[in-house]
Amino acid sequence: MNKKFGNIKKTALYIVLSFYAVCSIYPFIWLIFFSLKNNEEITVSNSFGVPEVFRFENYVNAWNSFNIALYFKNSIIVSLISVAVTIIISLMFAYATARMIWRMSKVARIYITAGMFIPVQIILIPLVILVKNLHMSNSFMSLIIPYIAFQMSFAAIVFHGFLTSLPFEIEEAAYIDGASIFRTFMSIIVPMVIPAIASVLIFTFMNVWNEFTVALMLINKEVLRTLPLGLVSFKGQFNTDWGGMGAAMVIAAIPTIVVYLMFSEKVEKALTVGSAVKG
Amino acid sequence: MQKDFKYKLNVLLFTLPALLLFTVVVCYPVLQSLYKSLFDWDGLSKPVFVGFGNYVKLWGNDNFHLSNKNGFIFAAMITVYQIGLGLLLALVLSSKAVRKSRFFRTSYFMPVVISTIIAGQLWLQIYNPDYGLINKIFEALGMSYRQAWLSDDKAAIYAVSFVNAWQYMGIHLVLIYTAIKSIPEHYYEAAVIDGASNAKAHTKITMPLLGETFKFCLVISITGGLKGFNEMYVMTQGGPGTYTNTLTYMMYKQAFMANNYGFGCAVAAVLVLECLIFTVLINKFVARDRIVY
Repeated sequence: MNKKFGNIKKTALYIVLSFYAVCSIYPFIWLIFFSLKNNEEITVSNSFGVPEVFRFENYVNAWNSFNIALYFKNSIIVSLISVAVTIIISLMFAYATARMIWRMSKVARIYITAGMFIPVQIILIPLVILVKNLHMSNSFMSLIIPYIAFQMSFAAIVFHGFLTSLPFEIEEAAYIDGASIFRTFMSIIVPMVIPAIASVLIFTFMNVWNEFTVALMLINKEVLRTLPLGLVSFKGQFNTDWGGMGAAMVIAAIPTIVVYLMFSEKVEKALTVGSAVKG
Repeated sequence: MQKDFKYKLNVLLFTLPALLLFTVVVCYPVLQSLYKSLFDWDGLSKPVFVGFGNYVKLWGNDNFHLSNKNGFIFAAMITVYQIGLGLLLALVLSSKAVRKSRFFRTSYFMPVVISTIIAGQLWLQIYNPDYGLINKIFEALGMSYRQAWLSDDKAAIYAVSFVNAWQYMGIHLVLIYTAIKSIPEHYYEAAVIDGASNAKAHTKITMPLLGETFKFCLVISITGGLKGFNEMYVMTQGGPGTYTNTLTYMMYKQAFMANNYGFGCAVAAVLVLECLIFTVLINKFVARDRIVY
């Protein structure tokens, strides 16, 4: 036992820590209970306990009549493309700023880094008009392209930090052997930065999966709605079926929660590297 | 010579996609927004140049002052809660006496990973005046106090702010925790040998070394608060009345509901200016140099 902490003091500390853990997690448990109840239980008899009967049919209803399947598919399409392209573009960019020597390297890096501090609000109005003029309104591309542009800054910072920490000799050997820059990049650099790619991938996925503001202003066609947009639209439409709405929310939350629980260390890593912005 | 050209070509190939995308999708629209804020423009007909007319109109607009005030309340609430509690919990969790630190960190971070829309809907139920969790707790405790949290003119903005404060505290906790963990152990050993108490070691060693981290935390929570929108959109639709409007909400209404695009751009420009001022101030007044151990 540590000398500085008496037993009582230590117990008290754990109680406080556990109390806040309950504050953080209980709403999730409550949501799961909520999703398995009917309206009578939710609003009258049993609003925050364990459901009397586990009504799994709420999930079936959510999936079938709430269009959840469609929103889920849309979110997957948008997230996968955005994340993949973000990683490719920003890794290439970071490679050039971290490993190649050229005059405007630092300027280019600061230019892209600035994206992290530009509120998305300032571009929304011109973006909506631009998308309209390009006849891209109501297409996935109108959402995916801004997502890539905005996620890129953070990804490039993480990759840059990672790449500068690698010793230069690695590429020199390959270069002397006559490998081209592309070859070196693909066969030597990419395999070495896989841990960083994993961090960026998970972090970017969570951001894009949950994004709401841009989606709200750029998408108004039902068939293109992503999950966060879809969840908002339930409210007016299905005011009566609370349980079904709870089920829809659980379905929408599962992917990010699972990804986080599996890779929590990667998420923390990405966050800390990204916070060390210089420039 | 040929080799030099090839090298430059490679630099171009690696950087062009990012630079091009960023310029077209971020940089150009930013400039457009600033420029269009000087016009009276409905998005369809020809814009009419009005100089700073939109800004003058903005200053005379009651909704602008309310939205602005709400942005500051939102920012202040989440900054104090997230950094204050985040720091406290990080200090406790980083102490060697506490085991299961990983479990607690994961729990505290959980709300961060869900969508603000889900968090908003969740808290909408918790705040419900009839069957919501909070009023039920008062009931269980035998107190007669009840509050319609989200439909009260004064309470609404605080209730909405709290949801964001609750949801994103984990980010700050993780950032501060990691920063504390990266401080070399022997700094503390030296302090203890010199007779410093635990509290003194923290105020004299931990705090000053966390400057860089606080800087980042302050920037994201303050600008995050000023930009607030999602929680209001989901939980109150800016109401009751306009009591939970923020600048983003105002911009959204002006541009996309009322087709006042020029005016909406002016609102966005003010918002960005505020964020910029805070970012610069924080960078100027909070610890300047990066510390390398």
